[in-house]
Amino acid sequence: MKDNFRQSMKWFHTWVGLIVGWVLFFMFLTGSLGYFYQEITRWMEPERPFIEHNVSNEKLLDTAQIFLSKHAKSVDEFSIYLPNVRDQNLRVAWREPAEPGKKRGRRQSHIVDINTGDKVESRATGGGRLLYRMHYRLHYLSTKVSYWIVGFCSMLMLLAVITGVVIHKKIFTDFFTFRAKKGLLGWLDIHNVLSVIALPFHFMITYSGLLFFLFTYMALSTNLQISDDEYSELRKEIFPRTAQIESKNQAADMLDISTLYQQAKRTWKTDELLSVKVYAANDNNAQVRFVRHETDITYNPEDQVLVNAITGEIIPQIAKKYTVSGMIHNGFFSLHEGQFAGPIARWIYFFTGLIGTAMIASGLILWTTKRKPKQMKKPNGPDFGYRLVEQLNIGTIVGLPIAIATYFYANRLLPVDMAERSAWEANVMFISWAVLLIYPIFRPANKAWREQLQLAALAYMALPLVNILTTDKHLINSLIKQDWGLAAFDMTFLVIGCCFAFSAYKYKALQVNKKVRKPAIRHGSRQVTKQKNKQNEKDERENEGLLNLQQANKGNS
Amino acid sequence: MFVLISLCFSVMVLFCLAMKKHREQVLTQTVPNLVVLFFRPLAWLLLLLTAYLSVELFGWSIGLALLFGALTIATLLLTLLLTYRANIVPRLAIALPFMASLSIVPINF
Repeated sequence: MKDNFRQSMKWFHTWVGLIVGWVLFFMFLTGSLGYFYQEITRWMEPERPFIEHNVSNEKLLDTAQIFLSKHAKSVDEFSIYLPNVRDQNLRVAWREPAEPGKKRGRRQSHIVDINTGDKVESRATGGGRLLYRMHYRLHYLSTKVSYWIVGFCSMLMLLAVITGVVIHKKIFTDFFTFRAKKGLLGWLDIHNVLSVIALPFHFMITYSGLLFFLFTYMALSTNLQISDDEYSELRKEIFPRTAQIESKNQAADMLDISTLYQQAKRTWKTDELLSVKVYAANDNNAQVRFVRHETDITYNPEDQVLVNAITGEIIPQIAKKYTVSGMIHNGFFSLHEGQFAGPIARWIYFFTGLIGTAMIASGLILWTTKRKPKQMKKPNGPDFGYRLVEQLNIGTIVGLPIAIATYFYANRLLPVDMAERSAWEANVMFISWAVLLIYPIFRPANKAWREQLQLAALAYMALPLVNILTTDKHLINSLIKQDWGLAAFDMTFLVIGCCFAFSAYKYKALQVNKKVRKPAIRHGSRQVTKQKNKQNEKDERENEGLLNLQQANKGNS
Repeated sequence: MFVLISLCFSVMVLFCLAMKKHREQVLTQTVPNLVVLFFRPLAWLLLLLTAYLSVELFGWSIGLALLFGALTIATLLLTLLLTYRANIVPRLAIALPFMASLSIVPINF
């Protein structure tokens, strides 16, 4: 019975994984990139100035306020985002008055040059936001359809995670086991290790991902079981709001924001301001909210300080009221997005995301590896289904990273004044992905693997070069200016390129080795046993190649 | 964060030393059975200590989340080392937490 149960789970795991594997790979990879969406956007807007070192927060606030008094005089609610680890530029944002017939006005967001105090005009780009929104919006599809597809895939992913734990017989005894063997055993170990070490992450990310569109997936339950009033109460409980601050329509002079900031500084006893929001500006009821970097996954009311902008007194805040379920809901969102993470934790998030991506990739490769010996013996060559899976594997696992690279190329190479520029950046990405998906049809599988790996290496290594030729925000300049955010971005491209180059090289070595070894086996059993030891050594070397291929997949971003 | 990762690494090394097949990979000399008995409890103890440190450094919610992240990275590192450079594992398990802890302990020379 037990074995039977395990068998059926195994069957389920295999086929579910195969059906949604490629979509999940896309979701995991673009989602992992999402952890760096601000950094990506900054790289994709090279008109923005370099980092300015040692500028005090007070000075920054003054600069922003002067800018706002010039460009947004009549606006009564605006935000100031200070330079931070993720985005080294000063940014201000406000909402324009609503046009008649519309609920809300257009949101304006501008980068301010700290030195000149002027607006920075950037090229039109989708930036990191467009890239990470793909992982749940699937770009070309309508919102509703893509939410359902994403939900379906995540649900199956969750099931695959659970069945995976069930069919992994020796999860604790094989916890550290990674036998660098060639073929099936090696891939199985890679798949197991990648799944087990990041199991908490896999489970958390899938489960919380499902929670995001709870009301879409569970619409039937919310529609039938509760009335509209109850529903709005439910929403209020899950997304508690702070009371709206209304203007009293009595003009009054506000104190400078930098002066008000001293209050927040004294409360926190540190100088780590992240953003400022001003309500009812230049009104009798004007208030300013100072926000620092999050110090709790769910909610810490002390991360914000609210100050009366006329008198300069601290206004005791009414903390948002979270119920326990609201807190859990919010906690899962926060864990999924990782907004609380500092630089190293962010890299860990990104890396674990890539482990998830690589896990899916290794699962897909495992499917073909397992069927390869049988398929190769067929008189008419492998089945259509097998070839399809293999081609989709090549086109997705190596093709998608290349397509993402072309997204960055498009950003640098498309004419700056092009119409619908940001849409075309994404179009270029998807067109090149389509090409890379079709390409393996016309090539033998191992050649297609190798060629696409080489292409990926070339694409990523050449990106910093193209950056040097097209902009002044390139690696050399960013290193001179000690703008580590930008420099790290270009260097990451180089590292990824090197990973791909290494795996392409190893893949080639592996193929050559195979050809050399074949005649040796025919010599007869005695020689084979003699050579066995040597072959084992060889095997080990080859397996390094497989592993590095895997690592490269991990590093492909 | 480096402290967390290196402590987690030591935790995982202890866990892996408690298993016979990995012990033979890592250590050349044989270890008395009595000592082997201590590896696993020690690992749990160190894990508890690491968890405490993590909570102390980053607070209840973020601390626990980061602990899992650190465990993931540490295990990945250990698994790769076991396969390719097993002999440096014990030295690394001692050296890493020591070096990392220097960064948080204020030393007045």
